[in-house]
Amino acid sequence: MTTIAQARPIMKKGSRIELQALLVRYGLVLLLIAVSALFAWQQPSFASPGSLSNLLRSSAISAIMFLGLTWIIAAGEIDVSFMSVAALSNMITAGFVDAGSGWIVASSAGIASGLAVGFLNGTLVALLRLPALVITIATGGLAASVAAAIGHGTSISLRTTGFVGDIVTTSIGLVPILAIAVLVLYQFAYILQDRMTLGHYIYAMEQNREAVVEAGIPVSRILMLLYLLSGGLSAVAGVLLTADLSSGQPYIGGSYFIDGLTAVLLGGMVLKMGQPNVIGTVVGILLLAVLLNGAALMGWSDSQRQIVRGGLLIAGVSMVVWTRRKARPRN
Amino acid sequence: MTRAFQLSPLTLRILAFVVLLVLIAGVFQALTPSYLTVTNIHGLLRHMAVQGLAALGLTFVIVVHHFDLSFPGVASLGAMTLGGLIAAGYGLPVSIGGALGVGLLCGLINGVSVALFRLPDIVATIATGGIAIGFSYFYSGGTSISENFFGSGILDINDSKVFSIDAPVVILAAAAAVAFVVLHCSRFGRAFYATGENPTAAIFSGIHVRIYIGVAFGLCGLLACLAILLLVASSGASNVSAGNQLLMPAFAAVYLGAALMGAPSVPATLAGTLLMSMMLTGFTLLAVPYYYSDAIVSAVLITAIAAFDPKLAGALRRLGRFQFGVGRREVSP
Repeated sequence: MTTIAQARPIMKKGSRIELQALLVRYGLVLLLIAVSALFAWQQPSFASPGSLSNLLRSSAISAIMFLGLTWIIAAGEIDVSFMSVAALSNMITAGFVDAGSGWIVASSAGIASGLAVGFLNGTLVALLRLPALVITIATGGLAASVAAAIGHGTSISLRTTGFVGDIVTTSIGLVPILAIAVLVLYQFAYILQDRMTLGHYIYAMEQNREAVVEAGIPVSRILMLLYLLSGGLSAVAGVLLTADLSSGQPYIGGSYFIDGLTAVLLGGMVLKMGQPNVIGTVVGILLLAVLLNGAALMGWSDSQRQIVRGGLLIAGVSMVVWTRRKARPRN
Repeated sequence: MTRAFQLSPLTLRILAFVVLLVLIAGVFQALTPSYLTVTNIHGLLRHMAVQGLAALGLTFVIVVHHFDLSFPGVASLGAMTLGGLIAAGYGLPVSIGGALGVGLLCGLINGVSVALFRLPDIVATIATGGIAIGFSYFYSGGTSISENFFGSGILDINDSKVFSIDAPVVILAAAAAVAFVVLHCSRFGRAFYATGENPTAAIFSGIHVRIYIGVAFGLCGLLACLAILLLVASSGASNVSAGNQLLMPAFAAVYLGAALMGAPSVPATLAGTLLMSMMLTGFTLLAVPYYYSDAIVSAVLITAIAAFDPKLAGALRRLGRFQFGVGRREVSP
C-alpha cells in the first residue's frame, strides 16, 4: 500500500527556506485571490451577485462532502467512495420523498445510508486492516449500484424540496446560510484538528502508524470514526444536493471525485506544506470553483475543464512531493 | 500437519477453483437452462476476452505493488482514438496502431510519474485518467463514433474465427501466453515480483526497479486499449464512456484470482476473470438489470480481498488446523 501523503515540518531555519516556505504556505491563497480578480476583471458577469452566491452555495456543499476525506488522507489512508455515498443518499432521499414520506424521514434515511457505508468501510479498513483503496473502490461501487437501482437507472425528479430546500436557498444578503453553516462547521473542525489531541493523533498516524499504536492510542477506533464521519457528511451533502437540484441523480458522484482529491491535496499545501488540512481544503474548493466557473464563462467546454481538473491534481501532487523532498534534510 | 493427509497446496488451490467453477455453472444452469448452451458459452468467452485483457494489464501493476486507476480513462481515449482514426479514413492497421500507441504512451506517462518522479500512484493515476477522459472528447465532442466502421474491417476482428474459436478469445489466449512466459518463465518476470516484494532488496540485486515499474504501467495502458479495441469491435461504435465498465471487474478479477491462487499471477488473473465473467453473464441471462452488476462485482471483490488477506487467513488457519491449508499463502508462485 502506498501512502498518499507524508509530510514533515520544516527542519531548517535558513532564511531562504523560510521565504520559500512562506510562498508555499500562502501561495495558493494568493493564487485564489489573483484568479478571482482576473475573472472579475475579464468577465464582469463572474462577479455578479447571483453568480457569487451560486458559487458559494455549491462550494459549501462540496466542503461538507470533503471534510471527512481531508482527515482520512491526512491520516495516510484513502476513501474513494465518498462521491458514491453522496449519490446514494441523494437517491434514497429522493426515493423516499417520491414515495410520499416527509423530508425529515427521507433525509434521515439518506444520512443513515451514508453512515452505513462509512461503518462498512471502517469495519473493513480500520478493524480488519484490509487495503483501503480497493475496499473503498468496492464499497463505492456497491453504493453507486444501489443508487442506480433505486431509480431503475434513471433520475427521480421531485416537485417539492421541503425544509431542506429552504436551507439551501435561504441567504442573508449575498451569503447563503449554507455557507455560513459550513464556516462554523470548519471552525469547529479547525479547533479539533489543531487544538485537540485527536487532530495530533490523525497526523501522527500518517507519520508512523506503529508508533502511535505502541503509544496506546486507539488507532482503529479513530480510523473508524473518520470513515463514519466521511460517510455521514458525504450523505448530508447528498441530501442537500437532492433539494438543490430538486431531483435524485444516480450518477452525480462522478463530477465530485477528482474535485475532492484535488481540493484536499492541493489544499494540503496551504499552511501545512503538504499535509491535508481543513483550511486548505476550503481554499482548494474555492480555487477549483472559481477556476471552473470562470472557465465556463470564458466558453471552455466540459472536456477542457476536465483536463484542467486533472492537470491541477497532478500539479498539486507534484508540488506536495517536491516541497516535501526539499523540506526533508535527508533526501 | 502430517504429510499423509496433505495434498500439495497448488493442487488444493486448483481443486478449489474447479469446485467454484462447477458450483457457479451448476447454480446458473439450474436457474436458467440456456446457461450451458454453445451460444452462451461463446458470449461468455467474448466477455472474458475483454475483461481478461484489462485485468492482465492490471496484474503487472499489482505485481510490482502499485495501483493504476487510470486505465478506464486511458481505454476510453484509446477507443475514441480508434474510432476517430477510422472515421477519418485511415486504414485498420494505422487505427489500431494509433489506439494501442496512445494506450502505451499514457501507461508510460503513469510509469514515469510514479517511478521516476515518485508521485503517489493512486492520485497520479486518477489525475492522468481524468485528463485522458478529457482528451477523449476531442475527437467528436463526446458523441459516439461509428462512421466507416463497416468498410474498415474492424468488425471482422469480432466476427472472424480461428479454428472455430472466436478471434477475441484467441487474442486473449495469445496475450496471456506471452504474459505467462514473460512473467513466470523469465528473469524479467522474476524481477517484477522482486520489485513488488521488496524494492530495496531488488535494487541491491541489480534490478532496475524504476524501469520495471514503468514497464508495468506501460503494459497496463497498452492492454487496456487492446481490451477496449475488442469491445469497440463487438459493439460497432466508439464511446467516451467505453472504459468505465473495465475498472471494477479488472480489480475484482485480479484480487479474486490472487485469493484463489495465493498470489497475483497470469493464471490466477485468468481464473478470476473466468469466474467473474461466468457470474456476470449468468446474471445477464437471468435478466438482472445492468445497474446491479457493479453491486455483484463489489461483493465478490470485498470477499476476495478478505480471503486474500494473510491476517484473516492466518486467523482461519489457527481456527482449524485440518482445513486443507486453504488459508495458506505462498510468497510467490
